[in-house]
Amino acid sequence: MRGTVLRTQASAAARRPGRLILTGLAILVASFVVLGTVLVQQITERTVRDNLSGTPAATDLVIGSPDVPPPTVTDVRQVRAVPGVAEAVARVSTGVSVGEGYLNLQSDPGNGPLTTVRVVEGSYPDRPGEIAVTPRTAERLGLRVGTTTSGTGGELTAPAPLTVTGVVDTGADAGYDAYAPDSVVTAWARLTAVERVDVRVAPGTPTEDVRQRVAAAVAGQPIRSGAEVREAEANAAAEQVGRLFILVGMFVSIAVVAAALVVTSTFRIVFAQRMRQLALLRAVGASRGTLVRALTAEGALTGLVAGVVGVVGALALGYALPAILRTTGRAVSSPGLPVAAAVTVVIGAVVITVVAVLAPALSAARVSPLEALRASSTTAGRRGIGMLRLVSGLLLAVGAILAGSATVSQLPEPDQSNYDPTVPLFLLVGSGALAFFALVALGPLLVRPVLAVVGWPLRQLGPLGRMSVGGIGGTPRRAAAVSVVVALGVTLTSGVVIGGASLQILADRELALSAPTDFEVRSNGGTLPAAVVTRAEAARGALARVVPYRRVDGVTLMRGADKLGDVESGYPTNDLDLTALPTTGDLDVAQGSLAGRGPGRIVLNNWVARDAALRAGDTVTLAMAGRRVDVRVAAVLPGDGPLHAGILTDPSDLDRLGVPAAYTGLLADAAGTGEDGRTAGVRALRQAIGGSQDVGLAVLADERDRNESLVRTLVLVAVGLVGLTVLIAVVGVGSTTALSVVERVRESGLLRAIGLSRTGLRTMLTVESGLYGVIGATIGLVLGIPYAWLAVRALGIEAPLTAPVLPLAGLFVALVVLTALAGVLPARRASRVSPVVALGADG
Amino acid sequence: MTTHAPPETSHAAVAAVDLVKVYGSGETAVRALDGVSVGFGRAAFTAIMGSSGSGKSTLMHCLAGLDTATSGRVLLGGTELTGQSDRTLTRVRRERIGFVFQSFNLLPQLTAAQNVTLPLDLAGRQPDPELLAHLVRVLGLTDRLGHRPSELSGGQQQRVALARALVARPEVVFADEPTGNLDSRSGAEVLTILRDSVRDLGQTVVMVTHDPIAAGYADRVVLLADGRLAGDIDKPNQVSVTDALRDLAARA
Repeated sequence: MRGTVLRTQASAAARRPGRLILTGLAILVASFVVLGTVLVQQITERTVRDNLSGTPAATDLVIGSPDVPPPTVTDVRQVRAVPGVAEAVARVSTGVSVGEGYLNLQSDPGNGPLTTVRVVEGSYPDRPGEIAVTPRTAERLGLRVGTTTSGTGGELTAPAPLTVTGVVDTGADAGYDAYAPDSVVTAWARLTAVERVDVRVAPGTPTEDVRQRVAAAVAGQPIRSGAEVREAEANAAAEQVGRLFILVGMFVSIAVVAAALVVTSTFRIVFAQRMRQLALLRAVGASRGTLVRALTAEGALTGLVAGVVGVVGALALGYALPAILRTTGRAVSSPGLPVAAAVTVVIGAVVITVVAVLAPALSAARVSPLEALRASSTTAGRRGIGMLRLVSGLLLAVGAILAGSATVSQLPEPDQSNYDPTVPLFLLVGSGALAFFALVALGPLLVRPVLAVVGWPLRQLGPLGRMSVGGIGGTPRRAAAVSVVVALGVTLTSGVVIGGASLQILADRELALSAPTDFEVRSNGGTLPAAVVTRAEAARGALARVVPYRRVDGVTLMRGADKLGDVESGYPTNDLDLTALPTTGDLDVAQGSLAGRGPGRIVLNNWVARDAALRAGDTVTLAMAGRRVDVRVAAVLPGDGPLHAGILTDPSDLDRLGVPAAYTGLLADAAGTGEDGRTAGVRALRQAIGGSQDVGLAVLADERDRNESLVRTLVLVAVGLVGLTVLIAVVGVGSTTALSVVERVRESGLLRAIGLSRTGLRTMLTVESGLYGVIGATIGLVLGIPYAWLAVRALGIEAPLTAPVLPLAGLFVALVVLTALAGVLPARRASRVSPVVALGADG
Repeated sequence: MTTHAPPETSHAAVAAVDLVKVYGSGETAVRALDGVSVGFGRAAFTAIMGSSGSGKSTLMHCLAGLDTATSGRVLLGGTELTGQSDRTLTRVRRERIGFVFQSFNLLPQLTAAQNVTLPLDLAGRQPDPELLAHLVRVLGLTDRLGHRPSELSGGQQQRVALARALVARPEVVFADEPTGNLDSRSGAEVLTILRDSVRDLGQTVVMVTHDPIAAGYADRVVLLADGRLAGDIDKPNQVSVTDALRDLAARA
């Protein structure tokens, strides 16, 4: 008997391999994604290793390590004198302050196998006081070949001249890089020690001999082989990749859970279709256990096939993609053959499918033998849920609410400094997981109320809409099973979108303060010559906006004769005209209003307000060098002030404090866009500065770009990973619709017989599958937005709460369109079936 | 029985002319209908009878625009159905034809009332409230309208299906073994309702059955054998139908 039951079920599966794949499609996609992730990790790691630009490959020995006192300049000379040493290159870098800004001066031989740079213009420096710079540095700082400037750096305190002799190309060009041979760097900057020494052994000399001789020459310095150092560098880089992939793994496991849920619901549908057959088997004497075993075995077979197909697909793509990319000239390495991982994924697919199939198999085996004798069309799906499921769902929901309120009680106070986000975040994740499982349990009860709201406009559209809504509402268990997965995807995605938007606003606010414009010109300690401001203002073609300001450091806050706050020397103060800046709109206030600024009205940053115990509306006295001015606090900022100002005043108040009228700096924006506009702006400002002493130019826009692209990349990566779950949700909707179309072929036939057109049937089924998306996306947004807000608050980064309406609406629409599209193919198939055949089908 | 009077196609509610339907091709081809010409009168209750495989269901499917014939013509109230597009046939089914099936074929997720008005909903029309009230009363569905099919007995389900077929005032109601899944009492109810709809509402009804008792309710019985017309009984009763069927079986 047992064998017969297994055979009937297995032969049913074997006769329709397409349905087997369809049932396991979510597992197939999950297997593909999991092994794909393993392969991408291997590709990334190998690519990083193979293309690492660290220690040159010709390096045989490396002397020195960060753990011990560095090698001295004398050590370098002694190493060079060791017989068998063909070349010894000291690596050292030092920060250099030049009139034009900051330079990172690094040592490099400039030629030979140990160099990391390539001269593209002029010649490489060979005398102290000579440097080569990177192309971007030359552009940005105006350091062309032949330019002479002066600067201080290392142990050198009095400015000494620096002449640019050449331009060099390097792997990375930050825009403030200078190079010179080690002897030149150490001599100019008066350095006595270097970071490490790279040694190339003369050809034909055994490396080990040289190592022993070097060890004798510089006692106490650790010596490693070049291969060892390169390996360590590669491992460090690979470890970073590995850490990134731990995060990726987290998202992938959420996707796997989603796949398991989808497979559970597809099996439920498949078994429901076979209810009569199963009842018949029970009627002729098959036991429940036999049925459960047979159905579980079918699940295992499905998991095996889906797992193998997914793994093979991932391997094929994993090998093809790098090869294709290499033909376009990109350096991408091929992955290895992770046999163990592939086998594990297939076994995992089988195990997860078996686990997923258990609940449907148990409930299908509970079918009454009488069911076989009943008319098939009357066996509608059960609407309600069992008591056990209801109670456990309610318990989960209560747990989620408790954990959520615990999170709220742990949220940081404003300005709380010793806040540790670990516990609240942990509680929040727990609450989210509980809420999700509560949703899985209680889903069928939620479908109808949600449908009543979101289905309303559809019902007004006529009979087709009413029938689609009715079709979903009539089978709430199926609808819930699919919609919950969509909801999971939408919750995660909306969370990422909201988190990203909050971070973006936070970053905008920070940048509005630290980089309000593209450029800043500032005198180092003195004042700007009036001509600089005049010339900058005249350069309208290249500069869109020029806002000069004065900055003083010694302003104190007094009340009567008492000095407020703990700061000895006073607060940094400026009279920057906020209204002239384009980013003022991004500034928000903690108290008061920025509109209240004016003569006699000041704005304080958060820290100064706390230090001096002042609030918006308080009166206070500004004091400097014996002069005093009474003012009122118009507003307090939530963080730092623009250009790190502690106090922001009106220009007239600085005048009354006796501050000279000469500006100390100016802010400017480029007129053009992109790199060209920026370069034109730099050039114009450089000309405006002319030969003025001690005036520096900073390109704030570079920092802004870096931050913005960082935030954008983070959000994109997160959305991509979360997209995996969305993909599986869409696959789930597709396979559910496809299977339910088969299940309801009789119903389709009837509708066609009584006058529903092909187009009408197609529309109805497509709308139904879109409705899964609507229900899921609605539940997802309802959960996702509050959780995202809580998460942003729990992080304690004082980012504002936002609901970016457009992206969220886009997400909603995209999900609905995707799920509707997933139903298009099955709907087409259903509408092609002749009504006579459909009515004759054994439903 | 080698010749027939030519079918009165112009007066018929629905008529078949030289209808041929072949399933499959080549060696395995089966001629389910082999040149059937027959008309069904207006406001009449006609039963189509025959043994299994005689072609009676195929004939009904072709007459109702559910299936397309291989050759020959089908006329519905003078409209040519042969060769029409699926779109036109769908429209014809929706607006001019009603169906009653052996296995009821109600939509499980809709209530009885929603099932009744479904064809009108699809056509975007409102039901005639008087007719609807009349049908609900006559069919004894008054306190069953809010129930779903799974909560109704077989007889009740079939009465809902009858209401669904009649409420749109179709030109022809086709009933395919409407009593096949019912006990004799429920079956008698359904047949009485069909006959009353012909008498009281002037409805045209074409019913496929193999049950002589059911055929006894009809005004006329058309007999089919091997895809051809094999007899025509006016004002039949259970005895005359049983005799005719016995003759038919003896000749085969």
